[in-house]
Amino acid sequence: MQEIALESAINSIRVRFGSQALTRAAELPPPRPWRSATPLDGLTGIGGVPQGRISLLTGSGTCGKLTLALALLARATHDFAHALVIDGGGFDLSALTPFSCELGALTVVRAPAPEIAGEAATTLARAGAGFVLLMSDVPEHWLGPLESGANRSGAVIVDVVDAPDRALAHASSFSVAFARNDWIWDRGQLVGLRASARCVKNRVAPPLGETELEVRYPLGPRPVDDYTLGVTESPIHIVEVRPRVSAAV
Amino acid sequence: MALRQAEHLCPHATFVLPDEEAVTRIRELICAALYDLAPVVEVRNEGVAWLDLEGVVSPGESIREMRRRLLKAIGREPRLGLAPGPFSARLAAARARPGRLVQVSDAREFLAPLPSRELPLDAEQLERLDLLGLRTLGAVATVGPRELESQLGRDGRRAVLLARGFEPDELTPWRPPMFTSAHRQFGEPVEDREALLFVARALCGDLAEELGLRGAGAKHVRVRMGFEASEPEQRASIVRHPLSSQAELFGLVGSWIKEWQPRAPIAEMWIDLPVLEGAGRRQLRLWAGGDGSSEEVTAALERLQERFGDEIVVSGAS
Repeated sequence: MQEIALESAINSIRVRFGSQALTRAAELPPPRPWRSATPLDGLTGIGGVPQGRISLLTGSGTCGKLTLALALLARATHDFAHALVIDGGGFDLSALTPFSCELGALTVVRAPAPEIAGEAATTLARAGAGFVLLMSDVPEHWLGPLESGANRSGAVIVDVVDAPDRALAHASSFSVAFARNDWIWDRGQLVGLRASARCVKNRVAPPLGETELEVRYPLGPRPVDDYTLGVTESPIHIVEVRPRVSAAV
Repeated sequence: MALRQAEHLCPHATFVLPDEEAVTRIRELICAALYDLAPVVEVRNEGVAWLDLEGVVSPGESIREMRRRLLKAIGREPRLGLAPGPFSARLAAARARPGRLVQVSDAREFLAPLPSRELPLDAEQLERLDLLGLRTLGAVATVGPRELESQLGRDGRRAVLLARGFEPDELTPWRPPMFTSAHRQFGEPVEDREALLFVARALCGDLAEELGLRGAGAKHVRVRMGFEASEPEQRASIVRHPLSSQAELFGLVGSWIKEWQPRAPIAEMWIDLPVLEGAGRRQLRLWAGGDGSSEEVTAALERLQERFGDEIVVSGAS
């Protein structure tokens, strides 16, 4: 009964606003995936992070979203000619040290205001940057141009926010919510955390649900100068623990 | 022999005229296959191709690659000749077995025993040579250029130089065509954007394949949408770096179509590439994705620095 009602509603929307007004995700041609070699690939339903779309990593507090974003960024520096970070003030370049990162391909844009962040992200996405990590608020009026710019060039846009506002949630094609489940202790020392990553929006393929991540921090205090840039001795491990059942539509 | 003369001599014969279009197509195919093997490549309709190997670092590899590509392009083993000039190279190739190479080091010595009918002269001039008793190229070579010029005109002088192995002719290098286009006419006018995008992607694929064969890239892209009862609409742009792959072409064309608001259903679609240039000008870091737009990203970063100050951009390497 519900299906009939839904079908009828879809038909009336299509009659009124045109056939393109409402399309099932499964009927759309999927965007090209960028295989990031992280558990995120399994959540998108296309085998990689969608190119030309905005992806969101959300979650409050320490839940692993930034670690995963940094792992994506490090991987992107190997796969793309340009990997960019739009930094609203919280990005520390030394945070990348434990990851095997190709620093020659990395550029950080320090955006003191959201307006500048929006303009920079849109300009760079339109120019064809391979990967853009957004770590700043982007005003609503920049989201449309950013989305179309990325769509045109095929740039991978990843935004890390605690809780997205309505406009950002609407503009994104793929959104994963992180929640910390547990800390991991080893001989009295904090070595990582367990977090669940749940796909809360997926416009590129039918939603694939949820997975649990185990994020391991590098062990032992070590000054940043001890690391050779671009080479990691104790990489952070992001391990997928056990996949769960797909979420219902 | 002229066609009319042949018809007169053999009235029951069926004469099949050459298919000019097919010949041109095969010539283009061969040109595209050999284009990047030497600085100068000339292909003639009669089925002869020349590569000027002067300055080529490893001529042997070029010749081997030429043989491989010709075999792939036309499905036949080519006859190959290597000589100091185009005339002697053509005669050397004509005397080689399929797939083999005849190499000539001394052109005059090689040419001397060959019949003078090999010279590029018309039938009347060749008959005159025969009457003069000049039946081999060696015999032609012994005559002074001015003497034969007095008999055959300017062609006589050239004939002597050719027979002596001086090779006065230069090759005319083939250049990729400067224009290409793909077109699709719809049975029923289309208004579904997804359908247009699908067709545009296929057309971009066809164009990219053609550009790949020609070793060319598009500097100018134009999309035209035709309607049943009104003038077509068009959108065009000059691109900074030549586009050559399907993804690059469709990246631009697809973005236009996505925001296009046509005034009526589309009956025809054209994708024109009015200005082509050698795609070899691009130096790609082939191992890095999106490197084709690397310069655009650098330019975008510079623009941001101009607007908001140098300190806004920090390179990871610094």
